[in-house]
Amino acid sequence: MATRDEIEAWLAACSTGDRRAFGALYSATSAKLFGICLRVLDNRSEAEEVLHDVYVKIWHNAGKYRVNGLSPMTWLITVARNTAVDRLRKRRSTTASMDQAEERPDPAPGPEAQAIAASEADRLNACFDELDEGHAQAVRGAYLDGETYADLAARFEVPLNTMRTWLRRSLLKLKECLSR
Amino acid sequence: MSDELPDRDADKALAGEYALGLLPADEAAAFESRLVNEPELRAFYAEWCEDLAGLTDRIEPVAPPPWLHARIESELFGSTGHKTSFMRWVAGFLGGLAAAALALGLIFGADLVPSGPQAPTDPVYVAEVSAEDGSLVVAASYDADAGELFVDRREGDAREGRALELWLIAGENAPVSLGVLPGEAQAALAVPEGLRPQLDGGVLAISDEPPGGSPTGAPTGDVLAVGEITNT
Repeated sequence: MATRDEIEAWLAACSTGDRRAFGALYSATSAKLFGICLRVLDNRSEAEEVLHDVYVKIWHNAGKYRVNGLSPMTWLITVARNTAVDRLRKRRSTTASMDQAEERPDPAPGPEAQAIAASEADRLNACFDELDEGHAQAVRGAYLDGETYADLAARFEVPLNTMRTWLRRSLLKLKECLSR
Repeated sequence: MSDELPDRDADKALAGEYALGLLPADEAAAFESRLVNEPELRAFYAEWCEDLAGLTDRIEPVAPPPWLHARIESELFGSTGHKTSFMRWVAGFLGGLAAAALALGLIFGADLVPSGPQAPTDPVYVAEVSAEDGSLVVAASYDADAGELFVDRREGDAREGRALELWLIAGENAPVSLGVLPGEAQAALAVPEGLRPQLDGGVLAISDEPPGGSPTGAPTGDVLAVGEITNT
């Protein structure tokens, strides 16, 4: 894995139009970002299209990266996750309008949740463990499965406002734990 | 949203909702306009991005297909006057092969078995598709009358439980499958009529795929061997 300094240097060079830096950045980071796109979309050809869009965005916005205060890998991951989730939501809304009886998302914990159960090593996972199981699933579902408040309210069979209150309180609990 | 949180906590939660993409459009727009002038809010948002990105730690990296890099660069930089990295990669790969090995006589020796598919006697195109280290070598020759590509796997085989798939890459187009190589060393693969003109000046590549071939229509595994198609 490339270091933070290397990724920052490549991003800075990309913002000045350095194609070789883009190639280096792509080689070092595309497998991670493709893994994320595949995880969110669960569809190879869509993940390929999204990864294409992600790197086009990265190239065009490399110069803005420094002002947002994120670490470079977090910025790349956030661009990939957000682009993949946008795509997933677009797909879902198309599917929903074609088929009113949309299937409810599977509430079983995904592979990450299972992996997380197997290891309490890092802080984030330990803090997720402090949340009620359903609340932890809701936060993960929103991040990795692009679930909206409406999706989550349907999944947990609570009114939308209740869902939102739950989730906001879970976020604060998570934040409180992470800043301990 | 009224849920009786102190303002600072309310902002922290709001920044988290924004980072998760949960805010309704109007609230998201209002949050964004506040971000411009409120450094503390920006800091909350940045913290959430860092924390939530940790949820991807256990997602295994997956190498994207090799042609995707070329496609992205050709969109960003245009194809004129700029060799895409995939073509550079192919060129480097081919450069590593001894020119003599590409000579027709060497590729199609006299060791053809009398049974099974036969190499065309007068192929229009030939190629030697080989791995850099010689661990996989497939000679190919195209019979224009039959519209068939005869393949002869001289070295190497698919890995246990995997298959070898042959691809045609024409110019900067995405690879198109010519089929999975059968278990037998020699076989004739029918080339769809629409693809035949693309053989001229194209490149053949072999990738490692699940049994039955790539489920997506694009190479999913490692590219194991590459060879330029030459006109006889």
